[in-house]
Amino acid sequence: MSSVTSLRSNRILRIVLIAAVAILLLVAPLVLPVFANQTLVRIGVYAVAVLGLNIVMGYTGQVNLGQIFFVGLGAYVTAYGVNHGWNIVVVFAAACVIAGIVGLLVALAAARLGGLAIAMVTIALPIVGVPLAKRLDEFTGGSQGISARFSDAPDWSRLYSDQWQFYIVLLVTAAAFLVARNLVRGKYGRAFGVVRENEAVAASMGVSPYRTKVLAFTVASIFGGASGFLYLAAVQYTSPETLSFGHSISLVAAMVIGGAGSIAGSLIGGAYYVLVPQLTNAIDPSFTTASQGAILLAVLFLLPEGLVSLPRVVRRLTRRRSTRPAPGNSPQTAPARSPVTEAAPEGLQKTERGKIGHEG
Amino acid sequence: MGTFIQLVVDGLATGSIYAALALAIVLVNQATGLINFAQGGLAVLSSYIAFAFLQLQFPLIVAILIAVVLSFFIGALVERFLLRRFERGDPDTAVVVTIGLLTLVTGIAAMIWSYNNRAFPSLFPLTSVEILGAVVSVRSLATTVTIVVIMVVLQLLFLRTKLGLALRAVADNPASAAFSGLPVGRLLMVGWGLAATLGAVAGILVAPQLTLTPGMLDTALVYALASVILGGLSSPVGCVVAASAIGVLENLVAVYVPLIGHDLKIAVPFALIFVILILRPQGLFGRKVVVRV
Repeated sequence: MSSVTSLRSNRILRIVLIAAVAILLLVAPLVLPVFANQTLVRIGVYAVAVLGLNIVMGYTGQVNLGQIFFVGLGAYVTAYGVNHGWNIVVVFAAACVIAGIVGLLVALAAARLGGLAIAMVTIALPIVGVPLAKRLDEFTGGSQGISARFSDAPDWSRLYSDQWQFYIVLLVTAAAFLVARNLVRGKYGRAFGVVRENEAVAASMGVSPYRTKVLAFTVASIFGGASGFLYLAAVQYTSPETLSFGHSISLVAAMVIGGAGSIAGSLIGGAYYVLVPQLTNAIDPSFTTASQGAILLAVLFLLPEGLVSLPRVVRRLTRRRSTRPAPGNSPQTAPARSPVTEAAPEGLQKTERGKIGHEG
Repeated sequence: MGTFIQLVVDGLATGSIYAALALAIVLVNQATGLINFAQGGLAVLSSYIAFAFLQLQFPLIVAILIAVVLSFFIGALVERFLLRRFERGDPDTAVVVTIGLLTLVTGIAAMIWSYNNRAFPSLFPLTSVEILGAVVSVRSLATTVTIVVIMVVLQLLFLRTKLGLALRAVADNPASAAFSGLPVGRLLMVGWGLAATLGAVAGILVAPQLTLTPGMLDTALVYALASVILGGLSSPVGCVVAASAIGVLENLVAVYVPLIGHDLKIAVPFALIFVILILRPQGLFGRKVVVRV
């Protein structure tokens, strides 16, 4: 019985928490300095790209080194649409749909490949994308890039542009996270998981690995396109440099460092993508690449599930320290210990289960 | 006709460079079942090591030999202290590890030697000879011959020696290889060491042409991966043939199809891959893998 009440209070707690975060996010841009707003906006932009990458890579287990291509594609479509005076909703839809169609076409060929070969095909996307963007200069402005302004705050809003952009990005990012969360929790999410674990088993259960992989890749491309739209809302300019190979690698690193197969991890990944280069550039620009590689490897060694698992790991370590006996004890044996420690593992078990349910 | 032959010959020369890197990738895959995205990065590092010894006034050939030998140990150490932890787990994680390694190695090279281009001397004379009306530089001829020799040696190693048999056994099934008394860990180190050595040779062969920069082999790596997909991961000969074909084809397309031209020729191998994969998912020379539940 007590578990029922604690579950209910958990839910109330969660609703209160979500409401608090929502109010905080709505008020934040009004009080924060411009630079902080711009940084948060860029975190939102890349969080959506990482979220898409997480669906295809974290949840479905297909290494995708081409996500930045779809971000760039979305950005170019947005720039083209804005400069041709399309309605902004149409522009957003076009950025998502065109990226999705291209993603679908790539996936139809790439998903035929087993295992790692999909990584080798997707590596081609940014590599081909950069010269392609330079070549198609009537659409892309060539090497000079193209700028489009649509995210300046309108007069009636009485906001500054950075605040207005914050709300645009917040709206789309929140929607994207909601969609992704529902997707990975539902039947497609389970299909992704089975395909990730074992394609042969998936096939024997009536889940087509091919179709599932194509679906995941296409959804990831759509998120990439949406992220490109947001990129243009935030930066108002794009060039072939936006979709370079190095950025694609950084996106993969951000996804893994945040937490593969985790919705919350995508947000952390977006923050990593924006903040860490800012930090290392401030220390020494020539140190940036090496530090990114070192951080990625360190996370893989110490926290294979990414930064999102840090609280869990810390709790597990501290618990293990307080109850010396057998290391590597599973939580099930915890209640057998002395009453003093009993309380702690029980609480942990619950939160862990809640966590797993939450993550899908 | 003269232009055509010239383009084919030039294509074969560039193809041999992709082939060297592709062979290193196949070697690691044969020995460990992994795709090593850091292969190009490690090769660049080896070239910089040779460059460092050159600056210490060592003769070119000695500097190259030192770099090649050191590369073997670097490869073996990378396997022992970095990859070993991930080899038994999820192959996707291992790939991300090699991507992290690529970033790290490139970053280290950039920190030590900066992103500036450095001139690297060629081992072969810069003169050229005329074959069938095409001008062939001795350098690219020697590069091609070196790569072909390496390919033959590699094929012999895998198919005719005890070491090759052991390497293949470990890649195929580490558990049963261990049961048969093979030192799995040491063999994996040898596989990585050999691949790094091969990468070093590739890097040093290309460095004079491309001039030394941390990202020197990024494009070549992409071509090498394309060759590996086309040729099949299990076939050294297949990937060399595919690499040469890609080198020749992209050269011809760049000149004869103005729509594509020089800046877009890198798209050619991938367009080819898309067509072939739809028809033959295991690659041109690869074996079909049957999975049972």
